[in-house]
Amino acid sequence: MIAVHARRRRRTRRVADATRSLGVHIAVGIWLLIALGPYVWMFLTSVKPTLELYVFPVRYLPSAVGFEAYEQLFTTTPFLRFFRNSAVVALSTVAFTTVTATLAAYALSRFRIPGKPIILVVLLVTQLMPAVLLVIPLFISLRSLGLLNTPWGLTLVHSAFALPFTTYLITGFLDAIPKELDEAAKIDGCNDLGAFRWVVLPLLAPSLAAASTYVFIYSWNEFIYALTFMTRESARTLPVGLHGFIGEFLIRWDLLTAGGVIATLPTVLFFLLVQRRLIAGLTAGAVKG
Amino acid sequence: MARPHRFRTILATALALLIGLAAAQTTIDYWLWLDDTTDPVWPAIVEEFHAAHPDIIVEYEMIPLGQYYDRLLVAASSGSAPDAARFKEWWLGDFVENDLLAPLDGFVAGWPGADDVIANLYNTGRTRADGPVYMLPHQYITFYLYYRADRLAELGVDPPTTTDEFIAISKLLTDPANQRYGFGLRGGGGGQDQWLAYMLAGGCDLVDDAGAVVADSQACIDANQAYIDLFRVHGIAPPSATSDGFAQVIGAFEAGITSFVAHHVGSSLRLTNVHGDALGVMDIPVVDPSKPATMAAMAGNVIFADGAKQAAAWAFLAFLTEHEQMDKMSRSVNGQLPVLASVAALDHYQNNKFFALSLRQADYATAWPPLPGVGYISSQLWQASMQQALLGDITSEQMMRGIAETLRGNY
Amino acid sequence: MTLGLNRMKRHLVPLILLAPALITIVVVIGFPIGRAVWLTFHDYNVLRPARTTFAGLDNYLATFRDPVFWTALRNSLVWVGGAVSLQILFGFLGALLLNQRFAGRYLIRGLLLIPWATPSVLVALMWMWMLDGNYGVINDMLRHVGLIDRYIPWVAQPATALPTLIVIDVWQGVPFFAVMILAALQAFPKELEDAAVVDGANVAQQLWFIKIPFILPTLLITTVLRIIWTANYMDLMFIITNGGPGFRTTTLPFLAYTTSYRRLDFGQGATVALIQALLLAVVIVLYIRLLRRRQVV
Repeated sequence: MIAVHARRRRRTRRVADATRSLGVHIAVGIWLLIALGPYVWMFLTSVKPTLELYVFPVRYLPSAVGFEAYEQLFTTTPFLRFFRNSAVVALSTVAFTTVTATLAAYALSRFRIPGKPIILVVLLVTQLMPAVLLVIPLFISLRSLGLLNTPWGLTLVHSAFALPFTTYLITGFLDAIPKELDEAAKIDGCNDLGAFRWVVLPLLAPSLAAASTYVFIYSWNEFIYALTFMTRESARTLPVGLHGFIGEFLIRWDLLTAGGVIATLPTVLFFLLVQRRLIAGLTAGAVKG
Repeated sequence: MARPHRFRTILATALALLIGLAAAQTTIDYWLWLDDTTDPVWPAIVEEFHAAHPDIIVEYEMIPLGQYYDRLLVAASSGSAPDAARFKEWWLGDFVENDLLAPLDGFVAGWPGADDVIANLYNTGRTRADGPVYMLPHQYITFYLYYRADRLAELGVDPPTTTDEFIAISKLLTDPANQRYGFGLRGGGGGQDQWLAYMLAGGCDLVDDAGAVVADSQACIDANQAYIDLFRVHGIAPPSATSDGFAQVIGAFEAGITSFVAHHVGSSLRLTNVHGDALGVMDIPVVDPSKPATMAAMAGNVIFADGAKQAAAWAFLAFLTEHEQMDKMSRSVNGQLPVLASVAALDHYQNNKFFALSLRQADYATAWPPLPGVGYISSQLWQASMQQALLGDITSEQMMRGIAETLRGNY
Repeated sequence: MTLGLNRMKRHLVPLILLAPALITIVVVIGFPIGRAVWLTFHDYNVLRPARTTFAGLDNYLATFRDPVFWTALRNSLVWVGGAVSLQILFGFLGALLLNQRFAGRYLIRGLLLIPWATPSVLVALMWMWMLDGNYGVINDMLRHVGLIDRYIPWVAQPATALPTLIVIDVWQGVPFFAVMILAALQAFPKELEDAAVVDGANVAQQLWFIKIPFILPTLLITTVLRIIWTANYMDLMFIITNGGPGFRTTTLPFLAYTTSYRRLDFGQGATVALIQALLLAVVIVLYIRLLRRRQVV
């Protein structure tokens, strides 16, 4: 009797699990469709002959697939240079911001600082003004320091604006990791740094992955400061370069969509790398409990 | 004997330096926008200049038009403007008022090529009829009307010459159920040029002969009302007209959704590719056929007043405005109308129906008045007002009053 | 001796740790913000800054008297309220979804990131192209499916212009919330979840009583900053509608931009931006109060 009930319970649970799994897969499928559908359309646009773009009724599939747009993108435009410039700025910003934010977060979380509320407020107040209003004074400052058209000026500005959220995020995660873990590690013989590296850091990994992704995307996509501080074409970043394919009388849809498709790839790669490697790397050798 | 020896060395060094300086190269910064930045014609022209003038190096920067004005503002406010730049007449008023541009009369007077420039085009570079020229004309456009010759032939009608004929034919070509509309009215950003062409053809002048602003005269209010009515009353424009920009109106015409659209030579190549012989071109329909009118827009070159290398900058600008370079520019994919009479007379342009019509229109085309405030109108005010008027939020009179006040400097 | 060193260490160490971040922020951003405030009291001549004059409170008075300012304020409230609330909702559901086990989990997490990872120029152009009222693919698909019989000019109509931009922003911002909340969910200790199951809690109860409180700090700061960023985000308006039709999509930052860069009145533009900043500061104050209550500060 009991065996029958047990078997029935197992079957019901399996059915429930299967339904749940189906539901999850359907939901993910729909989400993928909504999120990536526009890019599929963009890709089709980039390989369609230009005469098939503005037609009524809409033409879905191209009559002939041509990758000239991609070829032109790499040979006639400074696209690769834009790409490299963006990469340098974004990676530098990630490195600088993540490190300084983690240091600051450790201070805010693990120490009692008298001015803590003020510091938190200062971090947030810097985000209140729209970039368009701050751009001219920043331009003047960077110009007098000779930091225009170099990746470092832009990195500095990007970092300044990305730091508040990053600091808050990591502080929040640190707060959720009990101080007792630090103490336990120290009793076991670690010094402060060791406790941090082997106990706290692994637990912090998910937030570091999220934070660095945020910083990368912010810097990679940032437009107004990149536009204003990188004045020479040779120094331009990707978003500014892409915007340049919009002329007064022509929109080079082919170059735009080709460039757009390629522009999103590094961020995805970065996130995937960071998800897997960072978490795996930091949790290796972690001391649990 | 040490002292005279040292003196001679110093003298020799000083002389060497002076000679070196005289032979030194001057580098000038030049800004421009080009629609298609991949076109090799422009870099080739710059190289030719370098070959002809080994003592001047031109470092140019291509900035998309959408970012151009903002970049100019940042540069002006931080004192980092280039030596010379491509410029639009929209911006002349504000820049000249703030003494940012160098007057070019002195340079033009000593320039052998000065007479080849079509005489009245110099006026696009003046802010006062008797004032100095601040902008050297380079490439311009005049507005005409494209139409679907095949569709008109199907209907058995001739191309319209008056506004009434235009409205009547457009209505015949309008069929909303099948996504067909007569006229691609451009109510979104950048549509002020097309609008001005219609206003001028409709009997409205923004400024009178004495230079006073009359944009809020009854004639202008009526002309504007007629334009609004094309959308609100006659329904010959698609419902998207209120926000349509360049890509949308030309795209709709390309797709065959509209049968009339106002634009200029810049798009002639592209539209010929699509419609071939079915593409016709004509003057903007006027209220009074004996008084043709349309608008012209000039892209010219300016020299910034605070720059120290004005002579070198002028050498470059003059080079750009000479016969061979002008011809190459106008034939390129970025090309517009040549400002030189000698180039305009060439067969290549006279035998091209789009260029030929535009060059004829140059006789009676009027540009935006070079007043401060045009920058604001062309970048924001016109669009906001036009959209409100098309949607019925404001009246034609309110719109023209706002524009008139801005032209008078109250903004 | 050791005691004094320890005390010094206790006070000095946090300061040293905080210094790089604080110095970077204050040095880079401090001057421009001060400058922006200064602008609000002046009639700034951007072309010839030397000709700038003092304006007292004129900019503020002019702003409050401008009907477009109030329109922009209303639009901003709709914009921020609509966009952020929808992003939280879908972002949260999305995070829960991504936390499940399914085939290709890691890859799909990366792919779903793409809308957030795309430069806004491209996002705007893509959607503008798809939503076109004459040859857009979305109109075509809707018509084939039978939902509409006439193409809809999404961004040309007053009723649909701002909602369309909100939808685009939500599409772009959901991955951001999903990633942040997912990180919080992943940091959730398995032991707590197991304990709850042992105690007999079902999925909904687990969620409400244990998981949400745990991720609340992350959720709060993400929301607060997202509110501030969305309030200042004007790229979509800039590229797609230019504030139109007829000011329907003009929000406060866009008004600040056009007042400064098109009407060449930087003083009044800065005033509009500062007023929004002060309104957003209220949000910050509320957030700090919330933190205080949870005894984190």
